[in-house]
Amino acid sequence: MSKIIASAAIRGGHACVRRAETALAECVDRYGWDKDVGFPSTAYALPVILALTGKRVERLGDLEEALGTARSWLPAEPTERLWLPYLGGALDAGAATLVAQEAIEALKPLRGIPSAFDYWLGPTADGILREQGIKLVDGRMPGFAACVGALPDDETAEQLARDLQERNLLVFMGSNAGGETMAAQLNRRGVEMNWETFLVPYGPDTSSIVHALGFACRAAFTFGGLKPGGIKETREILLYNQRRVFAFVLALGEVDDEKYATAAGAINFGFPVIADTDIPEILPSGICTYEHVVANVAHRDMPARAVEVRGVKIHTVDIPIPVRHGPAFEGERVRKEEVAIEFGGKHTRCFEYLASRPMDQVQDELIRVVGPEIGDVPETARLPLAIFVEVAGRKMQPEFESILERHIHSFLSEPMGVMHLGQRDTVWLRISKKARDAGFRIGHLGTVLLHKLRNDFPAIVDKVQVTLFTQSADVEALYPAAAAAYQSRDERMGALTDERVEVFYSCALCQSYAPNHVCIITPERLGLCGAYNWLDGKAAYEINPHGGNLPVRKGDSVDPVLGQWKGINDFIRNASNGSFERFSAYSMINDPMTSCGCFECIACILPGTGGIMIVDREYSGQTPVGMTFSSLAEMTGGGQQTPGFIGIGTLYALSRKFISADGGLSRLVWTTTRIKQRLGDKLRQRCEELGRPGFYDKVADETVCTELEPLIEYLAAVEHPALEMGEMV
Amino acid sequence: MSLELKPKKWAGALRQVTLGAGSRRPLTVGGGNGLPLHTFEAAFPHRPLLALEITDVDPVRWVESVREVWEGALGRPAEAARRGVEEFGADLLLVNLMGTHPDRGNRSPEQAAADIAAVLEAVRVPLIVKGPGAGQKQNQVLARVAENCGGEGLALHSATNEDYKTLAAVAVAYGHVLVGESPIDVNIAKQLNILLADANVDLNRVLIDPLTGGLGYGLEYTYSVMERIRLAALSGDGMLNCPLVCLVGEEAWKAKEARVPAGKEPLWGNQPERAIHWEVATSMALIEAGAEVVVLRHPESLARIRKQLDSWFDVTAGGATCR
Ligand code: SF4
Repeated sequence: MSKIIASAAIRGGHACVRRAETALAECVDRYGWDKDVGFPSTAYALPVILALTGKRVERLGDLEEALGTARSWLPAEPTERLWLPYLGGALDAGAATLVAQEAIEALKPLRGIPSAFDYWLGPTADGILREQGIKLVDGRMPGFAACVGALPDDETAEQLARDLQERNLLVFMGSNAGGETMAAQLNRRGVEMNWETFLVPYGPDTSSIVHALGFACRAAFTFGGLKPGGIKETREILLYNQRRVFAFVLALGEVDDEKYATAAGAINFGFPVIADTDIPEILPSGICTYEHVVANVAHRDMPARAVEVRGVKIHTVDIPIPVRHGPAFEGERVRKEEVAIEFGGKHTRCFEYLASRPMDQVQDELIRVVGPEIGDVPETARLPLAIFVEVAGRKMQPEFESILERHIHSFLSEPMGVMHLGQRDTVWLRISKKARDAGFRIGHLGTVLLHKLRNDFPAIVDKVQVTLFTQSADVEALYPAAAAAYQSRDERMGALTDERVEVFYSCALCQSYAPNHVCIITPERLGLCGAYNWLDGKAAYEINPHGGNLPVRKGDSVDPVLGQWKGINDFIRNASNGSFERFSAYSMINDPMTSCGCFECIACILPGTGGIMIVDREYSGQTPVGMTFSSLAEMTGGGQQTPGFIGIGTLYALSRKFISADGGLSRLVWTTTRIKQRLGDKLRQRCEELGRPGFYDKVADETVCTELEPLIEYLAAVEHPALEMGEMV
Repeated sequence: MSLELKPKKWAGALRQVTLGAGSRRPLTVGGGNGLPLHTFEAAFPHRPLLALEITDVDPVRWVESVREVWEGALGRPAEAARRGVEEFGADLLLVNLMGTHPDRGNRSPEQAAADIAAVLEAVRVPLIVKGPGAGQKQNQVLARVAENCGGEGLALHSATNEDYKTLAAVAVAYGHVLVGESPIDVNIAKQLNILLADANVDLNRVLIDPLTGGLGYGLEYTYSVMERIRLAALSGDGMLNCPLVCLVGEEAWKAKEARVPAGKEPLWGNQPERAIHWEVATSMALIEAGAEVVVLRHPESLARIRKQLDSWFDVTAGGATCR
């Protein structure tokens, strides 16, 4: 910790405790030790003292004891020669300061000093705490800002207050800067300040800001069920605040010793300090989630910076766009006659590209349209478009880029009157006349992406900036970077093999109807529903560690050919409720993975051919095995291991590990034209890799035959390799 | 030849949850250390409880044959409560605040709190208080009820995976029990309990509502999910060992088989009798799967189930030892 801050905080602590002691002595002289002391309408006595010392202060005598404790926490005042570079000392001084400040506040009425006057509200009653504190705990209010001091002018004060209000943050105000207060500034601007507007002025003294911490402590007592007591309890209360009450201190104007000391007190609660002046910074060191003191922040940037430093997650309930939106509109088409403006399709270049950046290189909420807007071009115009999304997050990883980017489709399908098809550089986007008439602009695409990304991925996305280029030159200029990113992602995904990772991911989402089923998702075998690959599992776990996807360590290899590992088998035994002992990742014959019911395709053996067929869910016709998809599904599903029958995600067929223990893709003798189309060139390519010339064309489909006899004849005629590989079982 | 029983011993047992406090006569459920009703190998300190459902407003969609028995008390919660306990012998009541739903009268949180206060005045049994369904309105209503009836140990129904923080906070703040509802899904049930524990809710103050399907309408899904929850609990999973509550009445009386009059389906027989069978059959299956609190609509169903339970459990003071 900076020596300057530590020394100032310790000096401030000493001064505060001295002041409290003097005030107490004065009151004791006048009223005696038994005089009642406390805040009105609360069951928590002096809440900060209760939280920090575990003692209820009800009489002046109790206060004496509390101040004694505070004094004992105070380290010696540092001198030029005596200096212990010790963060704990400053924090202890901070805690002592809060005790002293609460004492000073509580003694005010006894000394004839008003707590509530003009617009100052003084201490908060329990009734208000119950009403408002719960919002902090249940997330309706993302956090609170304790504003200490004043702004350079009234207008800036109002701007800051509005910016904080806009983010739904509760604003506490206290203290002054050279006699000026933020509350006075707001008052002159005619801003209403009370609990309804979430602008709460405590008092013009620095000590009054202790009420904000008292509020936090009482929230922990009431809604966290925490009880005051010893050191352990105090620690729990502080931790509760650190984890759940997203508060921060804004130091406005000059920072004196008492303010440093108060800030050190707040840091004990995990509340960081954001200052507009050039004070020494304290970067990560373990109590606050991220930085502790960040200095020199411009007023305009304060709310955003504070939200970022405290790790406050803002959830937008109503996305501010002029049309209705939601999953209900996802499948909606905008027909030709309804088009106001169109991008991509066959006509212009249209692509979307999401990149992650370091935290300081993304300006949250910045949405720009570079080039013509919807009103600048004639109706039914066709423009090029680059949707360029830059995100930053403390836990963001470049690996998650493709996952977020893939969500752009569903996000942009949600506004009514917007049609979005395709992904990457195959996007086709239309905005309807109705949407335009309602006020929808190209820029609103950015608004939707901003809020959806932040709402749906709060664990990994902290900041989003969107640029929409609608001029050919810009679009073309950005394209090479996007194309390079697509390619390198594909390569990275291609290089990601089962051998190269230590953990696979489980998925238990389908256990609700197949109670013993669990998917093991490996880099080379995606979930059988086709919706989850290994990266999705990884991201899902990052986003919600209590969710359906868990990392599973492979552990020692049990059988490299079958694809069995000790760690996986142990996990399976547990997760399948003891129903299964082993899973093979690469075999459909020996200990195959179970299948729930939502497989995209079924792979099953075709007796007499030495091969297998793959049939997809949409195919309703007959298959050579003599069953339709739905009768096959009955045999395969339900969470059983049925040797010879497995549910798979379509893309698994392209994997080098596709039933590699049983002979691999060379076993494929029949599939549907739909699967062939879907896998397209990639399937051809995989077939070529097998080193069996003409293999692709030897795989029959329903246009060749749908019965076993003619299939065997066909296979013999084309000399399909499976015939020679021998029966699988 | 004689059959030799090998009692199965489990690592875990269910938590015991006490419903009702303050002015209530409290009742405790849970605590069993074996599969439901396996009285030959496990101990069950408490018997399953039978609740009747009453409503804040006239439940106009209730089937006539169930409305009849509540005649004069429909939409009068205090009166219904008295009748439910004194005449019909319910162990406890579920007060369904359906009238607070924005589409069903949109009664205010204050009105709801007054209704609950009136019921608390009328009877001394513990209450389950059901809101209008997850969302902002339910949070407002149940938060107000929780605050006004602090210390009564109400069971607030219900917190969900997406929306639990408000109810968790008020349950902690005002000393109530919380029902966590999961959509027939053992993983979500567990996840929700983890989240509740994380929000400082004591899991000894939590019931699981696994969501019930009526007989013929998905009962078997509920059955197997309850079975899995119980097996996990007995194997020592501390996040799934809360007692289970099933809202049977609502589901059983939704079934076509319970509603269609004999005139339309002569082969199905007398509707009022058939409907009671439906409610009883659904309940018995769920009790066998481990339901510890069963909520019913028809007092006759309650009487029949009680008779069966009496033959299985000793009827001693509120709780039970097994015969
Ligand atoms: S099928 Fe898909 S959703 Fe179901 S468990 Fe497997 S990966 Fe998860």
